[in-house]
Amino acid sequence: MNLTAEEKRIATETTRQLLSTYNDSRGNLIPVLQQVQNKLGYVPAVAMEEVAAHFNVPAVDVYGIITFYNQFRLTPPGKRQVKICMGTACHMRGAQIIQESWERRLNIKMGETTEDREYSLERVACVGCCTMAPVVLINEEVHGKITPTRVDGLIFSHQLDKQKEKEGAARDE
Amino acid sequence: MAETVTITIDDRQIQAAPGEMLLWAALDNDIYIPHLCASREEAHPTASCRLCFVEVEGRPAPVPACTLPVTEGLVVKTRSPQVDSLVAMGFELLMSNHRLDCKNCSANGNCELQRIAKARKLRLKPKNLPVLDKNLPVDDSAANIVYDPNKCVLCGQCVRACRKSGNGTLGFARRGYLRVVTTFGGVPLGESNCTNCGACVKVCPVGALAQK
Amino acid sequence: MSNHNAAAAAAFAKLQEEAQKDWDRLREKPLILIGAATCGRAAGALNLLEEVKNELAELKLDANVLEVGCMGHCYAEPIMVIYNEGFPAICYGYVTEGVGARIVRDYLTEGDPGIEFALAALEPNDMFPTFADFPRGIHENKIVLEQCGFIDPQNIDHYIATGGYVALTRALDMTSQEIVTTIKESGLRGRGGAGFPTGIKWQTCLDAPGTTKYVICNADEGDPGAFMDRTILESNPHLMIEGLAIAARAVGATKGYVYIRAEYPLAVERVALAIEQARSKGLLGDNILGSDYSFDIEIFQGSGAFVCGEESALIASMEGEPGIPRHRPPFPAQSGLWGRPTVINNVKSLSYVPHIIKNGAAWFTGIGSEKNPGTAIFALAGKVVNTGLAEVPMSTTLNELINDVGSGIAGGKKFKAVQIGGPSGGCLPESAMDTPIDFDSLTRAGAMMGSGGMVVLDEDDCMVEIARFFLDFTQQESCGKCTFCRLGTKHMLDILERITKGQGKPEDIDTLTQLAAKVKAGSLCSLGKTAPNPVLSTIKYFRDEYEAHINEGRCPSKMCKDLIAYYILPEKCERSCDACVGSCPVEAIGDNEDRIKVIDQEKCVKCDSCMVACPPQYKAVVKLSPPHLVEEKDREYREGKQKWQKQ
Repeated sequence: MNLTAEEKRIATETTRQLLSTYNDSRGNLIPVLQQVQNKLGYVPAVAMEEVAAHFNVPAVDVYGIITFYNQFRLTPPGKRQVKICMGTACHMRGAQIIQESWERRLNIKMGETTEDREYSLERVACVGCCTMAPVVLINEEVHGKITPTRVDGLIFSHQLDKQKEKEGAARDE
Repeated sequence: MAETVTITIDDRQIQAAPGEMLLWAALDNDIYIPHLCASREEAHPTASCRLCFVEVEGRPAPVPACTLPVTEGLVVKTRSPQVDSLVAMGFELLMSNHRLDCKNCSANGNCELQRIAKARKLRLKPKNLPVLDKNLPVDDSAANIVYDPNKCVLCGQCVRACRKSGNGTLGFARRGYLRVVTTFGGVPLGESNCTNCGACVKVCPVGALAQK
Repeated sequence: MSNHNAAAAAAFAKLQEEAQKDWDRLREKPLILIGAATCGRAAGALNLLEEVKNELAELKLDANVLEVGCMGHCYAEPIMVIYNEGFPAICYGYVTEGVGARIVRDYLTEGDPGIEFALAALEPNDMFPTFADFPRGIHENKIVLEQCGFIDPQNIDHYIATGGYVALTRALDMTSQEIVTTIKESGLRGRGGAGFPTGIKWQTCLDAPGTTKYVICNADEGDPGAFMDRTILESNPHLMIEGLAIAARAVGATKGYVYIRAEYPLAVERVALAIEQARSKGLLGDNILGSDYSFDIEIFQGSGAFVCGEESALIASMEGEPGIPRHRPPFPAQSGLWGRPTVINNVKSLSYVPHIIKNGAAWFTGIGSEKNPGTAIFALAGKVVNTGLAEVPMSTTLNELINDVGSGIAGGKKFKAVQIGGPSGGCLPESAMDTPIDFDSLTRAGAMMGSGGMVVLDEDDCMVEIARFFLDFTQQESCGKCTFCRLGTKHMLDILERITKGQGKPEDIDTLTQLAAKVKAGSLCSLGKTAPNPVLSTIKYFRDEYEAHINEGRCPSKMCKDLIAYYILPEKCERSCDACVGSCPVEAIGDNEDRIKVIDQEKCVKCDSCMVACPPQYKAVVKLSPPHLVEEKDREYREGKQKWQKQ
């Protein structure tokens, strides 16, 4: 996924602005990266280089942190981040089947984003809603007791929402 | 605090500086203990290769020699059935993930893995475990360094050296089985800020980094 | 006892008075509580909240509605509690859409408490049973969970009105050594999993030289299938904060951190708010309650690495590094965050502390057993009827916890095993059901207390698959630094994957056992040292399942996808019904010449949809293992048909 010049500019500016509020003590390094990700949805190379310069560490160390922790993304996420819980209870109640349903429906694999950047698929270690297994998070919303048919239902409701948005936008014009 | 303390390694009495790690005390007295990741400069031992286990009197389980500060009266054995089988398995695990090509390898004859195999009478080829090849591309983009990540044993010696004499180009990325020594963004060395100083090649114990 | 902090006691008395007023005001009108922790929200608690508020507005009724945390009865969510004058407080379960509004309307306008929707009453009365009247109530002894689900976690006054911050005020009057001695005498053991005596940890830190010290609450609850810490932080965050402040007082730290998993956004939000409120009341910050003692807390969010639950990795993470464990000793209590003495305690360990300071060490040792005092908090998940949180005295047996508190196995299935202690724990079979739940007994049985995750497995769960699942987890979560964990678990996982795919070899079990022993002995940190436990315990108790996979290509539980086939029983298929055809996502189901539904095995992705869709009165879809049984069944069907046609 190649970033546009515009995306790079925004990433650089956002990162610089965030860094201006932190001193260079190493304990702030990960919180800053978390902030960058909160703002942009991902941490692109330009942001990592800015952060490395600010804390005076080799850029490869920042890359090492980003690739070590699950939460960080190197590429922009989809508009809807689908996170499939892979905790024990979810696994025993068919999380694998749910994962395959999403992969089949969206035609992407885990960790990927759809062509139109509408969806991205991720696994997440237990979200602690084991009693509602199997669980799927869509952005911050928790959906419990998911079945393959509910996957279809969710995607369908997203399409309806989009349709409404479009019509709304058309009306506003 | 005495100038030195007396310790016993394999029934030999040795004088060592108190607090020094046992591994160095042994090596300085020509007692070989297998090791890959240890470094004298590190304040806190990495203790990642898990090959320098020794038997310590009064302790139930083997201890990595790189993590054991010497104290007066310490008694250790570098060999015991427990130590040997642990080191053998550790070595076999490493060898199952190291692309074997001694004949064409720059480190042939000067390789730490060959040395360990010889010292402990171990096979280079894993006996009971299948080979797990990393299948990563060999990087020969730099002016005079070739990096074959498939041979890398993740000891971290090159990362330290690169920070001391180079640009801090090399570092660890990812985790678990995918952990790898790489550059910023995983680009080939030729596209990175590598200065071609060759410090990494000098310290690589296994020929993963070689001079062109 | 010094008394130079008398001013603090007076300041606190004032806080209590204010809090009590706030608390009493709640009950002047009918009070409605809605359980809105993450589990409740997943079940639709926020919709219920809106529904109840709308209903009240529509009927112009005046009542207090509160968003509370989780009571532990997650199986019955969404949950609502109503306190109404003239009735005992009643707890309603399964309050789905429409039900909430109906209960509110009938109860508050006509005085009909809607008993048909009630789970239990919360206070003894003569019309309706309470939770204490159920088998569950006999075993439960809530200390840490006592207020969870009954107070507003976003209102510090509720915590204070129910006895909160009394212990901290008392600790201001104690010397550091007095506090440490009390915790030591209580015998409290770390509830993060290892069971190390908390008092000894504190003593080490107190005795360590230096003036800068830290305390950290480890809320990086990463075990899959565990949600105790999440519930406590979302339902009663002040309890942990108070415990942390007392820990700081005990070791002489002026700065504390709460390390919370990024996967718990609601917990982060609630802890942040709680810290804010404690500061505004003078319970945190400079000169707490006007005394000579200062202490403040900051939140540090994890970034998604299970290994950060390991103390030294957690510290590395806070120091801006990848979460890679360091060799111990030195232990954090001697040299931790930024090289300073640091106490790191789990959420649950800290949550006991205020109670112990308040009620004394002897009270705590009176609960549970001699070497394992206090209670155990478990998250019950999996195939048990009453999933949720339970707190029982240590040395309660597994049987009592699963069958009495958890009400046994759902759907009339047969119990097979219970997985305790997550990726570091093990699976225990029926024969171990009388094991008392405590650190030592569980370890002896081949599992581990762990942090309190308990997943119940039934006859449909394959033990090889569960071992594979945990190995897959540790393999993905291993930091990759040390040889044994990085490569040992990888080889073990590869073998298990082969076995679950029907490609196992007879020598695999031995190889697994040998690898497991060496990974345990050779790994650097406890993640690696305990990673083989799920494999070892399943081999120990369920070796026959391994053998069935390896020798017969059969999965006894019909769970391993590569070893099963879905098949529609011709004699049971109701030809005119198309439920399965419509449910199949890959159009693998069609009619044969007799209009009986047949699954095209080539196309089938084994997604289970047809099995779910087939109406219960037919139950025509079955799983067969090994898969080649399909051909036999087909042959039987054709031969049977020929016979019938000849007649």
